[in-house]
Amino acid sequence: MAVITVDNLSKNFKVKIKEKGFKGSLKSIVKPNYKIIKAVKDISFSIEKGEMVAFIGPNGAGKSTSIKMMTGILYPDSGDINILGLNPKKDRKKLAYEIGCVFGQKEQLWTHLTPYDNFKFFGAIYDLPDSQVEKKIKEFIELFELEEFINTPVRNLSLGQRIRCEIVASLIHEPKILFLDEPTIGLDPVVKENIRVLIKRMNKEYKTTVVLTSHDVSDIEKLCKRVIIVNKGQIVLDDSMENLKYHYLNKKIVEAKMKEPVNLEDEEGITILKDKGYNLKMEVDTKKKSIADAIKLLNPDNIIDINISNIPLEQIISSIYKDGEKE
Amino acid sequence: MLNKVTFFSNIIFMILNNACFIIQWVIIYSLKNNVGGYSFKQILLLWGIAAGTFGVAHFFFKEAFDLSDTINTGKLDAYLIQPKNVLISSITSSVEVSCIGDMIYGWIMLFLYGFSIKNALLFLFFSITGGLIIASLAVIFGSLSFWFGRVEIVANTINNLMTTFATYPEGIFKGFVKVLFYTLLPIGFVNYIPINLLKEFSLLQFGIVVFITILFIALAFFLFYKGLKRYSSSNLMNARV
Repeated sequence: MAVITVDNLSKNFKVKIKEKGFKGSLKSIVKPNYKIIKAVKDISFSIEKGEMVAFIGPNGAGKSTSIKMMTGILYPDSGDINILGLNPKKDRKKLAYEIGCVFGQKEQLWTHLTPYDNFKFFGAIYDLPDSQVEKKIKEFIELFELEEFINTPVRNLSLGQRIRCEIVASLIHEPKILFLDEPTIGLDPVVKENIRVLIKRMNKEYKTTVVLTSHDVSDIEKLCKRVIIVNKGQIVLDDSMENLKYHYLNKKIVEAKMKEPVNLEDEEGITILKDKGYNLKMEVDTKKKSIADAIKLLNPDNIIDINISNIPLEQIISSIYKDGEKE
Repeated sequence: MLNKVTFFSNIIFMILNNACFIIQWVIIYSLKNNVGGYSFKQILLLWGIAAGTFGVAHFFFKEAFDLSDTINTGKLDAYLIQPKNVLISSITSSVEVSCIGDMIYGWIMLFLYGFSIKNALLFLFFSITGGLIIASLAVIFGSLSFWFGRVEIVANTINNLMTTFATYPEGIFKGFVKVLFYTLLPIGFVNYIPINLLKEFSLLQFGIVVFITILFIALAFFLFYKGLKRYSSSNLMNARV
Protein backbone atom coordinates (compact mmCIF):
# COMPACT_ATOMS: atom_id res chain seq x y z
CA MET A 1 0.00 0.00 0.00
CA ALA A 2 1.37 3.36 -0.97
CA VAL A 3 1.57 5.76 1.96
CA ILE A 4 2.87 8.67 -0.09
CA THR A 5 1.64 9.51 -3.57
CA VAL A 6 2.80 12.64 -5.35
CA ASP A 7 1.34 13.59 -8.72
CA ASN A 8 2.64 16.31 -11.03
CA LEU A 9 3.78 18.46 -8.14
CA SER A 10 5.08 21.92 -9.00
CA LYS A 11 6.19 24.96 -7.06
CA ASN A 12 7.51 28.29 -8.25
CA PHE A 13 9.14 31.05 -6.27
CA LYS A 14 9.05 34.66 -7.31
CA VAL A 15 12.40 36.27 -6.68
CA LYS A 16 13.21 39.94 -6.97
CA ILE A 17 16.15 40.64 -9.23
CA LYS A 18 18.35 43.53 -8.15
CA GLU A 19 20.91 45.09 -10.42
CA LYS A 20 24.38 45.88 -9.18
CA GLY A 21 25.16 48.69 -6.80
CA PHE A 22 23.21 51.56 -5.30
CA LYS A 23 21.68 52.52 -8.64
CA GLY A 24 20.33 49.00 -8.96
CA SER A 25 18.82 49.25 -5.48
CA LEU A 26 17.02 52.45 -6.41
CA LYS A 27 15.80 50.95 -9.64
CA SER A 28 14.46 47.89 -7.91
CA ILE A 29 12.32 50.12 -5.69
CA VAL A 30 10.82 52.07 -8.57
CA LYS A 31 10.50 49.27 -11.06
CA PRO A 32 11.14 45.90 -9.50
CA ASN A 33 12.13 43.04 -11.73
CA TYR A 34 10.98 39.58 -10.85
CA LYS A 35 12.23 36.23 -11.93
CA ILE A 36 10.23 33.05 -11.54
CA ILE A 37 12.30 30.21 -10.19
CA LYS A 38 10.83 26.82 -10.82
CA ALA A 39 11.89 25.02 -7.67
CA VAL A 40 9.91 21.87 -8.34
CA LYS A 41 8.76 20.93 -11.82
CA ASP A 42 6.05 18.37 -12.27
CA ILE A 43 7.37 15.54 -10.13
CA SER A 44 5.49 12.30 -9.46
CA PHE A 45 6.36 9.27 -7.36
CA SER A 46 4.92 7.01 -4.72
CA ILE A 47 6.36 5.39 -1.62
CA GLU A 48 5.18 2.15 0.00
CA LYS A 49 4.68 1.51 3.69
CA GLY A 50 7.88 0.62 5.52
CA GLU A 51 10.16 1.81 2.72
CA MET A 52 13.31 3.80 3.41
CA VAL A 53 13.79 6.18 0.54
CA ALA A 54 16.67 8.54 -0.07
CA PHE A 55 15.58 11.79 -1.61
CA ILE A 56 18.77 13.31 -2.86
CA GLY A 57 20.10 15.94 -5.20
CA PRO A 58 22.58 18.82 -5.36
CA ASN A 59 21.98 22.01 -3.39
CA GLY A 60 18.99 23.90 -4.71
CA ALA A 61 17.60 20.88 -6.54
CA GLY A 62 14.21 21.13 -4.88
CA LYS A 63 14.52 18.40 -2.26
CA SER A 64 13.67 20.51 0.74
CA THR A 65 10.90 22.28 -1.14
CA SER A 66 9.35 18.92 -2.03
CA ILE A 67 9.62 17.67 1.54
CA LYS A 68 8.16 20.91 2.84
CA MET A 69 5.19 20.49 0.53
CA MET A 70 4.71 16.90 1.65
CA THR A 71 4.73 17.91 5.31
CA GLY A 72 2.30 20.79 4.79
CA ILE A 73 4.78 23.62 5.39
CA LEU A 74 4.53 24.96 1.85
CA TYR A 75 1.56 25.20 -0.46
CA PRO A 76 2.15 23.60 -3.84
CA ASP A 77 1.32 25.67 -6.94
CA SER A 78 -0.14 22.66 -8.70
CA GLY A 79 -0.30 18.91 -8.42
CA ASP A 80 -1.62 16.50 -5.82
CA ILE A 81 -0.07 15.07 -2.72
CA ASN A 82 -1.62 12.23 -0.82
CA ILE A 83 -0.01 11.22 2.46
CA LEU A 84 -1.79 8.37 4.28
CA GLY A 85 -4.99 9.39 2.52
CA LEU A 86 -4.63 13.00 3.64
CA ASN A 87 -3.99 16.13 1.64
CA PRO A 88 -1.30 18.26 3.38
CA LYS A 89 -2.88 21.37 1.91
CA LYS A 90 -6.23 20.80 3.59
CA ASP A 91 -5.58 18.40 6.47
CA ARG A 92 -2.34 19.83 7.83
CA LYS A 93 -3.29 19.26 11.47
CA LYS A 94 -4.57 15.71 10.98
CA LEU A 95 -1.46 14.92 8.99
CA ALA A 96 0.81 16.31 11.72
CA TYR A 97 -0.38 13.58 14.10
CA GLU A 98 0.77 10.96 11.62
CA ILE A 99 4.16 12.26 10.54
CA GLY A 100 7.39 13.23 12.23
CA CYS A 101 9.99 15.64 10.90
CA VAL A 102 13.62 16.25 11.71
CA PHE A 103 15.34 19.14 10.02
CA GLY A 104 19.06 18.89 10.70
CA GLN A 105 19.47 22.59 10.10
CA LYS A 106 16.59 23.69 12.26
CA GLU A 107 16.03 23.10 15.90
CA GLN A 108 12.63 22.11 17.13
CA LEU A 109 13.61 21.55 20.74
CA TRP A 110 13.38 24.34 23.27
CA THR A 111 16.98 25.05 24.19
CA HIS A 112 16.35 26.14 27.77
CA LEU A 113 14.40 22.98 28.63
CA THR A 114 15.87 19.55 29.34
CA PRO A 115 15.26 16.76 26.83
CA TYR A 116 12.85 15.20 29.34
CA ASP A 117 10.75 18.38 29.57
CA ASN A 118 10.93 18.80 25.81
CA PHE A 119 9.55 15.30 25.27
CA LYS A 120 6.76 15.99 27.76
CA PHE A 121 6.01 19.22 25.91
CA PHE A 122 5.85 17.46 22.55
CA GLY A 123 3.68 14.76 24.12
CA ALA A 124 1.23 17.47 25.16
CA ILE A 125 1.28 19.04 21.69
CA TYR A 126 0.27 15.70 20.22
CA ASP A 127 -2.46 15.24 22.87
CA LEU A 128 -0.91 12.09 24.30
CA PRO A 129 -1.92 10.92 27.77
CA ASP A 130 0.80 11.48 30.40
CA SER A 131 1.24 7.80 31.17
CA GLN A 132 1.85 7.02 27.51
CA VAL A 133 4.43 9.78 27.18
CA GLU A 134 6.26 8.51 30.29
CA LYS A 135 6.30 5.02 28.85
CA LYS A 136 7.56 6.24 25.49
CA ILE A 137 10.29 8.35 27.08
CA LYS A 138 11.47 5.38 29.12
CA GLU A 139 11.57 3.27 25.99
CA PHE A 140 13.51 5.89 24.04
CA ILE A 141 15.97 6.52 26.86
CA GLU A 142 17.02 2.91 26.52
CA LEU A 143 16.85 2.70 22.75
CA PHE A 144 18.66 5.97 22.09
CA GLU A 145 20.90 5.86 25.18
CA LEU A 146 19.81 9.21 26.57
CA GLU A 147 20.22 8.38 30.27
CA GLU A 148 23.37 10.47 30.64
CA PHE A 149 21.88 13.80 29.58
CA ILE A 150 18.12 13.42 29.91
CA ASN A 151 18.07 16.17 32.56
CA THR A 152 20.61 18.55 31.00
CA PRO A 153 19.21 21.64 29.27
CA VAL A 154 19.33 21.21 25.51
CA ARG A 155 21.59 24.26 25.06
CA ASN A 156 24.33 22.41 26.96
CA LEU A 157 24.19 19.28 24.83
CA SER A 158 26.66 18.43 22.09
CA LEU A 159 25.37 18.51 18.52
CA GLY A 160 25.23 14.72 18.37
CA GLN A 161 23.26 14.46 21.60
CA ARG A 162 20.96 17.21 20.41
CA ILE A 163 20.20 15.52 17.09
CA ARG A 164 19.45 12.30 18.94
CA CYS A 165 16.96 14.22 21.07
CA GLU A 166 15.52 15.92 17.97
CA ILE A 167 14.83 12.50 16.49
CA VAL A 168 13.27 11.26 19.71
CA ALA A 169 11.08 14.36 19.91
CA SER A 170 9.81 13.68 16.41
CA LEU A 171 9.03 10.06 17.34
CA ILE A 172 7.16 10.64 20.56
CA HIS A 173 3.76 10.40 18.86
CA GLU A 174 4.70 7.24 16.94
CA PRO A 175 4.52 8.75 13.47
CA LYS A 176 3.84 6.45 10.57
CA ILE A 177 6.14 8.42 8.30
CA LEU A 178 9.36 10.12 9.28
CA PHE A 179 10.87 12.89 7.18
CA LEU A 180 14.56 13.40 7.86
CA ASP A 181 16.14 16.42 6.17
CA GLU A 182 19.89 16.04 6.52
CA PRO A 183 19.79 14.49 9.97
CA THR A 184 23.52 13.84 10.10
CA ILE A 185 24.71 17.29 9.02
CA GLY A 186 27.78 18.36 10.98
CA LEU A 187 28.12 15.16 13.00
CA ASP A 188 31.26 13.10 13.57
CA PRO A 189 31.52 9.61 12.02
CA VAL A 190 30.78 7.76 15.27
CA VAL A 191 27.64 9.74 16.01
CA LYS A 192 26.58 9.46 12.36
CA GLU A 193 26.86 5.71 12.60
CA ASN A 194 24.81 5.71 15.83
CA ILE A 195 22.08 7.76 14.24
CA ARG A 196 21.98 5.43 11.26
CA VAL A 197 21.66 2.39 13.49
CA LEU A 198 18.82 4.09 15.34
CA ILE A 199 16.96 5.00 12.18
CA LYS A 200 17.34 1.46 10.92
CA ARG A 201 16.17 -0.03 14.20
CA MET A 202 13.19 2.26 14.26
CA ASN A 203 12.23 1.31 10.73
CA LYS A 204 12.45 -2.35 11.68
CA GLU A 205 10.65 -2.17 15.01
CA TYR A 206 7.88 0.26 14.22
CA LYS A 207 7.62 -0.25 10.46
CA THR A 208 8.07 3.49 10.08
CA THR A 209 8.34 4.74 6.52
CA VAL A 210 11.41 6.95 6.21
CA VAL A 211 12.07 9.68 3.67
CA LEU A 212 15.63 10.89 4.01
CA THR A 213 17.64 13.63 2.39
CA SER A 214 21.34 13.79 2.88
CA HIS A 215 24.52 14.86 1.17
CA ASP A 216 26.36 12.08 2.93
CA VAL A 217 26.43 9.18 0.53
CA SER A 218 27.15 6.61 3.21
CA ASP A 219 23.90 7.63 4.96
CA ILE A 220 22.07 6.76 1.81
CA GLU A 221 24.06 3.66 1.02
CA LYS A 222 23.66 2.21 4.49
CA LEU A 223 20.04 3.08 5.07
CA CYS A 224 18.04 3.20 1.90
CA LYS A 225 16.99 0.55 -0.54
CA ARG A 226 15.56 3.08 -2.95
CA VAL A 227 16.93 6.34 -4.30
CA ILE A 228 15.11 9.25 -5.85
CA ILE A 229 17.49 11.76 -7.37
CA VAL A 230 16.19 15.24 -8.05
CA ASN A 231 18.01 17.86 -10.04
CA LYS A 232 16.77 21.26 -11.12
CA GLY A 233 13.34 20.47 -9.77
CA GLN A 234 12.89 17.25 -11.70
CA ILE A 235 13.32 13.60 -10.87
CA VAL A 236 16.31 12.36 -12.85
CA LEU A 237 16.38 8.90 -11.36
CA ASP A 238 14.03 6.79 -9.27
CA ASP A 239 15.44 3.34 -8.77
CA SER A 240 16.50 0.77 -6.23
CA MET A 241 19.95 1.12 -4.72
CA GLU A 242 20.86 -2.26 -6.21
CA ASN A 243 19.94 -1.20 -9.72
CA LEU A 244 21.73 2.07 -9.32
CA LYS A 245 24.90 0.28 -8.35
CA TYR A 246 24.46 -2.42 -10.97
CA HIS A 247 24.00 0.00 -13.84
CA TYR A 248 26.74 2.30 -12.90
CA LEU A 249 29.14 -0.20 -11.45
CA ASN A 250 30.27 -1.68 -14.69
CA LYS A 251 33.31 0.45 -14.19
CA LYS A 252 36.03 -0.87 -11.91
CA ILE A 253 39.09 0.76 -10.51
CA VAL A 254 42.23 -1.37 -10.80
CA GLU A 255 45.20 -0.34 -8.71
CA ALA A 256 48.40 -2.29 -9.18
CA LYS A 257 51.89 -2.20 -7.72
CA MET A 258 54.44 -3.44 -10.25
CA LYS A 259 57.94 -4.91 -10.18
CA GLU A 260 58.91 -3.09 -13.33
CA PRO A 261 57.46 0.09 -14.71
CA VAL A 262 54.84 -0.34 -17.40
CA ASN A 263 53.82 2.20 -19.92
CA LEU A 264 50.18 1.94 -20.79
CA GLU A 265 48.17 4.27 -22.96
CA ASP A 266 44.42 4.90 -22.83
CA GLU A 267 42.58 2.50 -25.06
CA GLU A 268 39.03 1.37 -25.54
CA GLY A 269 37.57 0.43 -22.16
CA ILE A 270 40.61 1.55 -20.23
CA THR A 271 41.36 4.95 -18.81
CA ILE A 272 44.63 5.50 -17.02
CA LEU A 273 44.00 7.56 -13.92
CA LYS A 274 47.47 7.57 -12.46
CA ASP A 275 50.75 6.22 -13.78
CA LYS A 276 53.77 6.59 -11.57
CA GLY A 277 55.84 3.88 -13.17
CA TYR A 278 55.64 1.29 -10.44
CA ASN A 279 52.19 2.29 -9.29
CA LEU A 280 49.32 2.28 -11.70
CA LYS A 281 45.67 3.19 -11.32
CA MET A 282 43.21 2.68 -14.12
CA GLU A 283 39.49 2.62 -14.72
CA VAL A 284 38.17 -0.39 -16.61
CA ASP A 285 34.83 -0.34 -18.35
CA THR A 286 33.86 -4.01 -18.06
CA LYS A 287 31.31 -3.66 -20.82
CA LYS A 288 34.11 -3.01 -23.28
CA LYS A 289 37.04 -4.84 -21.75
CA SER A 290 37.04 -7.62 -19.21
CA ILE A 291 39.10 -7.36 -16.05
CA ALA A 292 41.10 -10.37 -17.18
CA ASP A 293 42.11 -8.59 -20.39
CA ALA A 294 43.06 -5.54 -18.45
CA ILE A 295 45.28 -7.56 -16.14
CA LYS A 296 46.90 -9.28 -19.08
CA LEU A 297 47.94 -5.88 -20.36
CA LEU A 298 49.83 -5.37 -17.15
CA ASN A 299 51.70 -8.63 -17.48
CA PRO A 300 50.55 -10.72 -14.48
CA ASP A 301 54.07 -11.88 -13.59
CA ASN A 302 55.02 -8.34 -12.88
CA ILE A 303 52.29 -7.60 -10.34
CA ILE A 304 53.29 -7.37 -6.68
CA ASP A 305 49.92 -6.29 -5.36
CA ILE A 306 46.58 -5.58 -6.94
CA ASN A 307 43.31 -4.05 -5.78
CA ILE A 308 40.14 -4.11 -7.82
CA SER A 309 37.31 -2.00 -6.48
CA ASN A 310 34.00 -0.45 -7.43
CA ILE A 311 33.68 3.19 -8.23
CA PRO A 312 32.58 4.91 -5.01
CA LEU A 313 28.83 5.58 -4.91
CA GLU A 314 29.66 9.21 -4.28
CA GLN A 315 31.27 9.42 -7.70
CA ILE A 316 28.29 7.72 -9.32
CA ILE A 317 25.88 10.16 -7.78
CA SER A 318 27.91 13.21 -8.69
CA SER A 319 28.14 11.98 -12.27
CA ILE A 320 24.34 11.69 -12.33
CA TYR A 321 24.10 15.24 -10.98
CA LYS A 322 26.47 16.44 -13.70
CA ASP A 323 24.55 14.66 -16.44
CA GLY A 324 21.50 16.52 -15.21
CA GLU A 325 23.38 19.82 -15.47
CA LYS A 326 24.30 19.18 -19.10
CA GLU A 327 20.69 18.60 -20.09
CA MET B 1 15.03 33.46 32.56
CA LEU B 2 18.32 32.66 34.20
CA ASN B 3 17.63 33.29 37.84
CA LYS B 4 15.32 34.77 40.41
CA VAL B 5 17.19 38.08 40.64
CA THR B 6 16.75 38.94 36.98
CA PHE B 7 13.17 37.74 37.12
CA PHE B 8 12.15 40.01 39.98
CA SER B 9 14.33 42.97 39.00
CA ASN B 10 12.77 42.93 35.52
CA ILE B 11 9.32 43.17 37.05
CA ILE B 12 10.15 45.78 39.67
CA PHE B 13 12.04 48.04 37.30
CA MET B 14 9.16 47.97 34.84
CA ILE B 15 6.83 49.17 37.60
CA LEU B 16 9.28 51.95 38.53
CA ASN B 17 9.72 52.85 34.88
CA ASN B 18 5.98 53.31 34.46
CA ALA B 19 5.71 55.22 37.72
CA CYS B 20 8.25 57.81 36.52
CA PHE B 21 5.89 58.99 33.81
CA ILE B 22 3.18 59.84 36.31
CA ILE B 23 5.40 62.57 37.75
CA GLN B 24 4.89 64.83 34.73
CA TRP B 25 1.13 64.48 35.16
CA VAL B 26 1.37 65.35 38.86
CA ILE B 27 3.07 68.60 37.80
CA ILE B 28 0.55 69.33 35.05
CA TYR B 29 -2.40 68.72 37.37
CA SER B 30 -0.89 71.01 40.00
CA LEU B 31 -1.36 73.79 37.44
CA LYS B 32 -4.65 72.69 35.90
CA ASN B 33 -7.58 70.60 37.09
CA ASN B 34 -8.68 69.22 33.80
CA VAL B 35 -6.67 68.05 30.77
CA GLY B 36 -8.60 66.97 27.70
CA GLY B 37 -11.66 66.30 29.82
CA TYR B 38 -9.85 63.92 32.21
CA SER B 39 -9.44 64.37 35.94
CA PHE B 40 -6.17 63.32 37.57
CA LYS B 41 -7.76 60.08 38.75
CA GLN B 42 -8.81 59.33 35.21
CA ILE B 43 -5.24 59.90 34.06
CA LEU B 44 -4.19 57.29 36.60
CA LEU B 45 -6.81 54.94 35.19
CA LEU B 46 -5.66 55.74 31.64
CA TRP B 47 -2.15 54.70 32.63
CA GLY B 48 -3.54 51.67 34.40
CA ILE B 49 -5.43 50.48 31.35
CA ALA B 50 -2.57 51.34 29.00
CA ALA B 51 -0.11 49.36 31.14
CA GLY B 52 -2.58 46.52 31.73
CA THR B 53 -3.44 46.03 28.06
CA PHE B 54 0.20 46.40 27.01
CA GLY B 55 1.14 43.86 29.67
CA VAL B 56 -1.46 41.33 28.56
CA ALA B 57 -0.56 41.72 24.87
CA HIS B 58 3.20 41.53 25.30
CA PHE B 59 3.19 38.89 28.02
CA PHE B 60 0.89 36.35 26.44
CA PHE B 61 1.47 37.18 22.78
CA LYS B 62 5.05 38.40 22.82
CA GLU B 63 5.94 36.79 19.51
CA ALA B 64 3.06 38.56 17.73
CA PHE B 65 5.30 41.62 17.79
CA ASP B 66 8.07 39.70 16.01
CA LEU B 67 5.77 37.96 13.57
CA SER B 68 7.36 39.64 10.57
CA ASP B 69 10.76 38.21 11.51
CA THR B 70 9.27 34.78 12.25
CA ILE B 71 7.78 34.73 8.76
CA ASN B 72 10.82 36.06 6.92
CA THR B 73 13.33 33.74 8.56
CA GLY B 74 11.23 30.61 8.05
CA LYS B 75 10.64 29.98 11.75
CA LEU B 76 7.01 29.10 11.08
CA ASP B 77 8.15 25.67 9.82
CA ALA B 78 8.39 24.34 13.35
CA TYR B 79 4.75 25.22 14.06
CA LEU B 80 3.47 24.04 10.71
CA ILE B 81 4.51 20.47 11.40
CA GLN B 82 2.67 20.43 14.71
CA PRO B 83 -1.00 19.51 14.94
CA LYS B 84 -2.00 22.79 16.53
CA ASN B 85 -3.10 26.22 15.40
CA VAL B 86 -0.06 27.81 13.73
CA LEU B 87 -0.87 31.41 14.57
CA ILE B 88 -1.62 30.78 18.23
CA SER B 89 1.37 28.49 18.78
CA SER B 90 3.76 30.90 17.16
CA ILE B 91 2.63 34.12 18.87
CA THR B 92 2.42 32.52 22.31
CA SER B 93 5.76 30.73 22.03
CA SER B 94 7.53 32.99 24.54
CA VAL B 95 6.67 35.46 27.28
CA GLU B 96 8.07 38.85 28.25
CA VAL B 97 8.69 38.69 31.98
CA SER B 98 8.90 42.45 32.49
CA CYS B 99 5.27 42.64 31.38
CA ILE B 100 4.22 41.11 34.69
CA GLY B 101 5.39 44.48 36.03
CA ASP B 102 3.11 46.29 33.60
CA MET B 103 0.15 44.18 34.65
CA ILE B 104 0.84 44.75 38.36
CA TYR B 105 1.26 48.47 37.69
CA GLY B 106 -2.12 48.50 35.96
CA TRP B 107 -3.79 47.08 39.05
CA ILE B 108 -1.99 49.54 41.35
CA MET B 109 -3.38 52.36 39.21
CA LEU B 110 -6.87 50.86 39.46
CA PHE B 111 -6.60 50.84 43.25
CA LEU B 112 -5.53 54.49 43.19
CA TYR B 113 -8.44 55.30 40.88
CA GLY B 114 -10.94 53.63 43.16
CA PHE B 115 -11.42 49.96 43.83
CA SER B 116 -14.80 48.25 43.68
CA ILE B 117 -15.83 44.79 42.55
CA LYS B 118 -17.50 46.31 39.50
CA ASN B 119 -14.42 48.36 38.60
CA ALA B 120 -12.13 45.38 39.11
CA LEU B 121 -14.22 43.12 36.88
CA LEU B 122 -14.47 45.76 34.17
CA PHE B 123 -10.74 46.50 34.42
CA LEU B 124 -9.90 42.82 34.10
CA PHE B 125 -12.27 42.46 31.16
CA PHE B 126 -10.90 45.49 29.30
CA SER B 127 -7.28 44.46 29.97
CA ILE B 128 -8.09 41.29 28.09
CA THR B 129 -10.07 42.85 25.21
CA GLY B 130 -7.46 45.63 24.87
CA GLY B 131 -4.60 43.12 24.99
CA LEU B 132 -6.30 41.06 22.31
CA ILE B 133 -6.84 44.11 20.09
CA ILE B 134 -3.19 45.20 20.44
CA ALA B 135 -1.94 41.68 19.68
CA SER B 136 -4.36 41.31 16.74
CA LEU B 137 -3.13 44.60 15.30
CA ALA B 138 0.45 43.33 15.56
CA VAL B 139 -0.56 40.10 13.78
CA ILE B 140 -2.37 42.06 11.05
CA PHE B 141 0.66 44.20 10.28
CA GLY B 142 3.12 41.35 10.81
CA SER B 143 1.16 39.18 8.36
CA LEU B 144 1.84 41.74 5.63
CA SER B 145 5.28 40.12 5.49
CA PHE B 146 3.73 37.27 3.53
CA TRP B 147 3.13 39.73 0.70
CA PHE B 148 5.75 42.43 1.13
CA GLY B 149 8.67 40.73 2.87
CA ARG B 150 10.42 42.91 5.37
CA VAL B 151 7.69 45.08 6.87
CA GLU B 152 9.10 45.19 10.40
CA ILE B 153 9.45 48.97 10.25
CA VAL B 154 5.78 49.52 9.47
CA ALA B 155 4.67 46.93 12.00
CA ASN B 156 6.98 48.30 14.71
CA THR B 157 5.88 51.87 14.06
CA ILE B 158 2.23 50.94 14.43
CA ASN B 159 2.94 48.99 17.61
CA ASN B 160 4.96 51.86 19.07
CA LEU B 161 2.33 54.44 18.15
CA MET B 162 -0.25 52.35 19.99
CA THR B 163 1.83 52.62 23.15
CA THR B 164 2.85 56.24 22.72
CA PHE B 165 -0.62 57.66 22.18
CA ALA B 166 -2.29 55.37 24.69
CA THR B 167 -1.18 57.48 27.63
CA TYR B 168 -2.69 60.83 26.61
CA PRO B 169 -6.27 61.91 27.32
CA GLU B 170 -8.64 61.60 24.40
CA GLY B 171 -9.83 65.22 24.56
CA ILE B 172 -6.51 66.72 23.43
CA PHE B 173 -6.79 65.06 20.01
CA LYS B 174 -9.04 66.40 17.28
CA GLY B 175 -10.09 65.63 13.70
CA PHE B 176 -8.06 63.18 11.68
CA VAL B 177 -6.06 61.85 14.61
CA LYS B 178 -9.28 61.05 16.40
CA VAL B 179 -10.53 59.14 13.35
CA LEU B 180 -7.27 57.18 13.42
CA PHE B 181 -7.90 56.20 17.03
CA TYR B 182 -11.09 54.44 16.08
CA THR B 183 -9.69 52.80 12.94
CA LEU B 184 -6.04 52.14 12.16
CA LEU B 185 -4.77 52.79 15.70
CA PRO B 186 -7.69 51.47 17.73
CA ILE B 187 -6.69 53.19 20.98
CA GLY B 188 -10.29 54.34 21.31
CA PHE B 189 -11.47 50.77 21.84
CA VAL B 190 -8.48 49.79 23.95
CA ASN B 191 -8.40 52.80 26.31
CA TYR B 192 -10.90 55.59 25.85
CA ILE B 193 -14.22 53.72 25.73
CA PRO B 194 -13.22 51.49 28.69
CA ILE B 195 -12.34 54.60 30.72
CA ASN B 196 -15.75 56.09 29.98
CA LEU B 197 -17.37 52.80 30.89
CA LEU B 198 -15.66 52.63 34.28
CA LYS B 199 -17.03 56.10 34.97
CA GLU B 200 -20.48 55.45 33.55
CA PHE B 201 -21.55 52.06 32.23
CA SER B 202 -23.37 51.82 28.90
CA LEU B 203 -24.39 48.52 27.40
CA LEU B 204 -24.11 49.89 23.87
CA GLN B 205 -20.48 51.00 24.30
CA PHE B 206 -19.66 47.76 26.06
CA GLY B 207 -21.13 45.86 23.12
CA ILE B 208 -19.08 47.95 20.70
CA VAL B 209 -15.84 47.06 22.50
CA VAL B 210 -16.70 43.35 22.43
CA PHE B 211 -17.68 43.53 18.77
CA ILE B 212 -14.52 45.40 17.75
CA THR B 213 -12.34 42.95 19.68
CA ILE B 214 -13.88 40.01 17.84
CA LEU B 215 -13.57 41.90 14.56
CA PHE B 216 -9.83 42.53 15.06
CA ILE B 217 -9.19 38.92 16.07
CA ALA B 218 -11.12 37.68 13.03
CA LEU B 219 -9.23 40.02 10.73
CA ALA B 220 -5.90 38.89 12.21
CA PHE B 221 -6.72 35.22 11.65
CA PHE B 222 -8.10 35.90 8.18
CA LEU B 223 -5.02 37.81 7.00
CA PHE B 224 -2.57 35.40 8.60
CA TYR B 225 -4.12 32.34 7.02
CA LYS B 226 -4.60 34.08 3.69
CA GLY B 227 -0.90 34.94 3.75
CA LEU B 228 0.21 31.54 5.00
CA LYS B 229 -0.58 30.13 1.56
CA ARG B 230 2.17 32.35 0.21
CA TYR B 231 4.65 31.33 2.91
CA SER B 232 7.93 30.45 1.32
CA SER B 233 9.91 29.15 4.30
CA SER B 234 13.69 29.52 4.15
CA ASN B 235 16.77 27.47 4.68
CA LEU B 236 18.40 29.78 7.18
CA MET B 237 19.97 28.02 10.10
CA ASN B 238 18.25 28.95 13.28
CA ALA B 239 17.68 27.77 16.79
CA ARG B 240 14.88 28.24 19.23
CA VAL B 241 16.19 30.36 22.04
